[in-house]
Amino acid sequence: MRDRTPHTSPPAPSRRRLLRGTLSLGAVAASAAALSGCDSTLAQGFTGGSPTPDRLNFWNPFTGGDGERLLAMQAAYRAGHRKTDLKSATFVWGNPYYTKLTLATLGDRPPQVAISHLSKVPTLAEAGLLAEIQPADLARHGLTEDKFDARPWKKSQLDGKLYAIPLDTHPFVLYFRTDIAEKAGLLDGKGQLTDVDGPDAFIDALRAAKEVTGQWGGSIASVKDASTQFRLFWSFYRQISGGDLVADQGRKVVIDTEAAAEALAYIRRLTAEKVVPTTTDGPGAITMLTTGKAGFLMDGVWQVLTVQGSKVKFDMRPLPRIFDDAPYACAADSHSLVLPKAPSDSAQRLDLSLGFIASLLGSSKLWAEGGHIPAWLPTQRSASYKALEPQSHYAAAADGAAYDPAAWYGGAGSSLQIVIGDAVTSVFTGATSPTAGAARMKRELRELASRPSPV
Amino acid sequence: MTATATPPVTEQPAPVAEPRRKYDAERLFNRVALGVLVAFSLLWLVPLAWALATSIRPSQEVITDPTSWFTAHPTLAAYGDIFDAGKLPYWYANSFITSILTTVLTVLAGSLAAFALSQTRFRARRVAFVMLLAGIMIPGQVLMIPQFLALQEAGLLNTYWGVVLPQVPNVVAVFVFKQFFDGIPRELIDAARADGASWLRTYRQIVMPISRPVISAVTIFVFVGVWNNFLWPLLVVTDPEMMTLPVGLTSVQDVFGVPYAQLMASAVLGAIPLLAVFALFQRRIVEGIAGTGLK
Amino acid sequence: MATTTAPTKARGRGDRWAGPGMLLPFSLFYLVFLVGPLIYTVVAGFFDTSLLKSGLGDFAGFSNYSTVLGDSEFWRTLKNTLWFTVLTTVPLVLLSLVLAILADRFVRGRWFFRFAFFAPFVLPSAVVALMFTFIYADQVGLAQQAATWVGVDTPPSWLGDPDWAMISIAAATVWWTLGFNFVLYLAGLQDIPRSVHEAAAIDGAGPWQRIRHVVVPMLGRTTTLVTVLQVVASLKVFDQIYMLTNGGPDGSTRPSLQLIYDTGFVEGRVGYASTVSLLLFVVILLVSLVWFALVRRAEKER
Repeated sequence: MRDRTPHTSPPAPSRRRLLRGTLSLGAVAASAAALSGCDSTLAQGFTGGSPTPDRLNFWNPFTGGDGERLLAMQAAYRAGHRKTDLKSATFVWGNPYYTKLTLATLGDRPPQVAISHLSKVPTLAEAGLLAEIQPADLARHGLTEDKFDARPWKKSQLDGKLYAIPLDTHPFVLYFRTDIAEKAGLLDGKGQLTDVDGPDAFIDALRAAKEVTGQWGGSIASVKDASTQFRLFWSFYRQISGGDLVADQGRKVVIDTEAAAEALAYIRRLTAEKVVPTTTDGPGAITMLTTGKAGFLMDGVWQVLTVQGSKVKFDMRPLPRIFDDAPYACAADSHSLVLPKAPSDSAQRLDLSLGFIASLLGSSKLWAEGGHIPAWLPTQRSASYKALEPQSHYAAAADGAAYDPAAWYGGAGSSLQIVIGDAVTSVFTGATSPTAGAARMKRELRELASRPSPV
Repeated sequence: MTATATPPVTEQPAPVAEPRRKYDAERLFNRVALGVLVAFSLLWLVPLAWALATSIRPSQEVITDPTSWFTAHPTLAAYGDIFDAGKLPYWYANSFITSILTTVLTVLAGSLAAFALSQTRFRARRVAFVMLLAGIMIPGQVLMIPQFLALQEAGLLNTYWGVVLPQVPNVVAVFVFKQFFDGIPRELIDAARADGASWLRTYRQIVMPISRPVISAVTIFVFVGVWNNFLWPLLVVTDPEMMTLPVGLTSVQDVFGVPYAQLMASAVLGAIPLLAVFALFQRRIVEGIAGTGLK
Repeated sequence: MATTTAPTKARGRGDRWAGPGMLLPFSLFYLVFLVGPLIYTVVAGFFDTSLLKSGLGDFAGFSNYSTVLGDSEFWRTLKNTLWFTVLTTVPLVLLSLVLAILADRFVRGRWFFRFAFFAPFVLPSAVVALMFTFIYADQVGLAQQAATWVGVDTPPSWLGDPDWAMISIAAATVWWTLGFNFVLYLAGLQDIPRSVHEAAAIDGAGPWQRIRHVVVPMLGRTTTLVTVLQVVASLKVFDQIYMLTNGGPDGSTRPSLQLIYDTGFVEGRVGYASTVSLLLFVVILLVSLVWFALVRRAEKER
């Protein structure tokens, strides 16, 4: 049976030779291009040396609208500092970003400057991964305490030492379609939302919007988005209890399960009364607002550019005050600039780094356009920021900013956010009852707290 | 070499002595089999084709109509965006360098060890072989933490050596080599030795030249394995310009976030080098899998 | 002058060290990167070692072990890993067997089938993850679209629904790695002598009977090999899950190896992660030993 032996390649040699030739040409061209452009980098790959002294590496977790703003801010810096070779790298937000930052610092090749959430700064500083920043050095670049928003400035310190320079505050807010709200009769004469504070008032407003849209009143991400779910819960929980979930840097669990159950019960009401859909992912929640399937959206301020891009009429305001048992609160965090600890002063490049940070702060207006409330007071108090709409409409939310619980397993995109957010989602979708959800939170927090802290 | 060498019918002809009814059953079965195969192989090509089709569509079009297969305005804009982001040439270069270094070291160290175990005689040989045998059961990934700490201690994080060295002790490669060397006729080695050649020279001048099939099989496998390795370079390389292609493509984000055209262009760019290697060496790779000591 | 007598005396001394000398380079790598780390893993499991502090840290005795064994997350990730192993091994063995047997009947188109099935296998996991991120995307992905074509009104969020996420990842994995098993089976089929087929055909066996009673049993050895390689590979799953869901939603896809990665590198608790590593190592070792036992027995029966 001749045809069982697989010699089925009649025209192969010529075809194969051609293919091989083309490929090797391509490979040679590619490696030549790579080598000419980055020969020193490749050499470092073998020797492990540090980059040239005019090099400034900067890491951030910003994509989408934030990423675009940042590009503009970097362009402003480059225009004024032609000699500096600024290389910026963007990584996946959350745990992957902080893991990379930690491993890079342990591996003695950290970036000179990096973005960190203020909720993460205490853990990074305690682990010895951040360089302490001296006020005298800052003053050299015109960065003094009186020019920063007091709240994030205070949050940038650990035991009285400064480890970060705050860039902004970014709260969890309420977006609404002005056209839909108007039809629903929710606006006053000045175009402001009238009555959305209080548990029933907010749901009534959502219901009114639902009657206009014919589909949903509001939307919020609940699929693949534990962080958003955490923010919703954390805002309401703080409005009820005013207290924390954990204490003593995460070693003790102090969650008020009654308050947690009350917050969860309200979150469940949103879906049980069918004014908010149960399964929507992040992009989907925004699309619902921009396509008029929902009149409200609960999300972070950083989505403002995306919503603006859809050219619909909308406005923003702080998250409503649903409960008034405690001072007003809404989940928030701040971006800050940190200096990961480098193996040597020459690798740290302190003045180069601080000069870059000063330049970014000077571009705070650009950053504010992306939704963030600037921490740099010269910008925050400027007329041009106050004229920025809708960005200036929720600046008051910064006063109620509730940062994440302080724990080594807490902060942006952390295990704590995931554990709590997942529990919220399971109540939100109706899979778990509010009291069971609160109990689950307590159990999971206890589990986290029982782990010996690595810092 | 010509097409006439193969019979016109692709199906295996049934034995002539068969009654006609049997022959019909055979043909029907072949038809069904062909149908199933074609259906599955097309299904298998869908993801690749879709990635390619999406990558050449304008971003705006992908947003408005994401699941369409066709575009009236094919464009390479997504590829341009990725190249402009600037790190891709580094990633290709890094993947090439680390894969080649690892492959060379693995083949050298592995074949030498296999030769020693297969041909030379020394007291601890059996012990060494048993220890090696045990090594096949150690899953490397489980040891990522101490391996990382060792390299950190040695200051080799973010270097090529950090990526390369821990991947060199490839026990399977030693086995494949040893199995091949065991099959080399004893007389060949004895003749060389009798001529006064040292063991090292016998290895270099007699054994290696006749071992080309097994060397190329191991080379291809180690190369592909290192090129595709994800977890290890993810840990040891944090500098964006030192990353290998798989790590760079997935951990470094571009400001454009997740526009799918760019995402699919990244996938295509990541797929091309190895698909090319596969297209070139299809037969050898397949024979390599089938024939190496995996059986 | 060249005779095949005993080696001459001149080579004698160098000879004694030739074997160990040639073994040395590999042995060094082997000791430094496999044996050493294994010992470290065993030791660190008894300490509260931290990634962020140098040294082994405080002695912890068996507390890591008791915590890990009492940690529901450890058991859940192990369960997820085993569930993934079942979800991938069964189709990867059966489907590749069926497709290889069918493809073996055709000579001319075989290269095409081989290309279609094997090409995905050479792709880096990162590329596979990029492609399936889009295919499984909500609203815009091909998978949801395909589901609506076959009449599902509201297709699930493939990677966002805890009930579906692991199944979706397993399906992507089957797509990715089927080709390897397919090729192993094709090779196994080459080893079946043509005369066996002919004898069966002359006996009046139809194609279906021949496959069931002749071909499949003769592939027994290949099937054992394929199954074990598959099980061991699946127990070590990490890449595609890390990239597609990062263990979510709600931890429903988090495998054991990711628990090691997360506790060791994300949280920096090296001691704890070492304990998990060692336990996972034992599980994989047991599977390998069962395989050896099976092969031994099969060989004795021959």
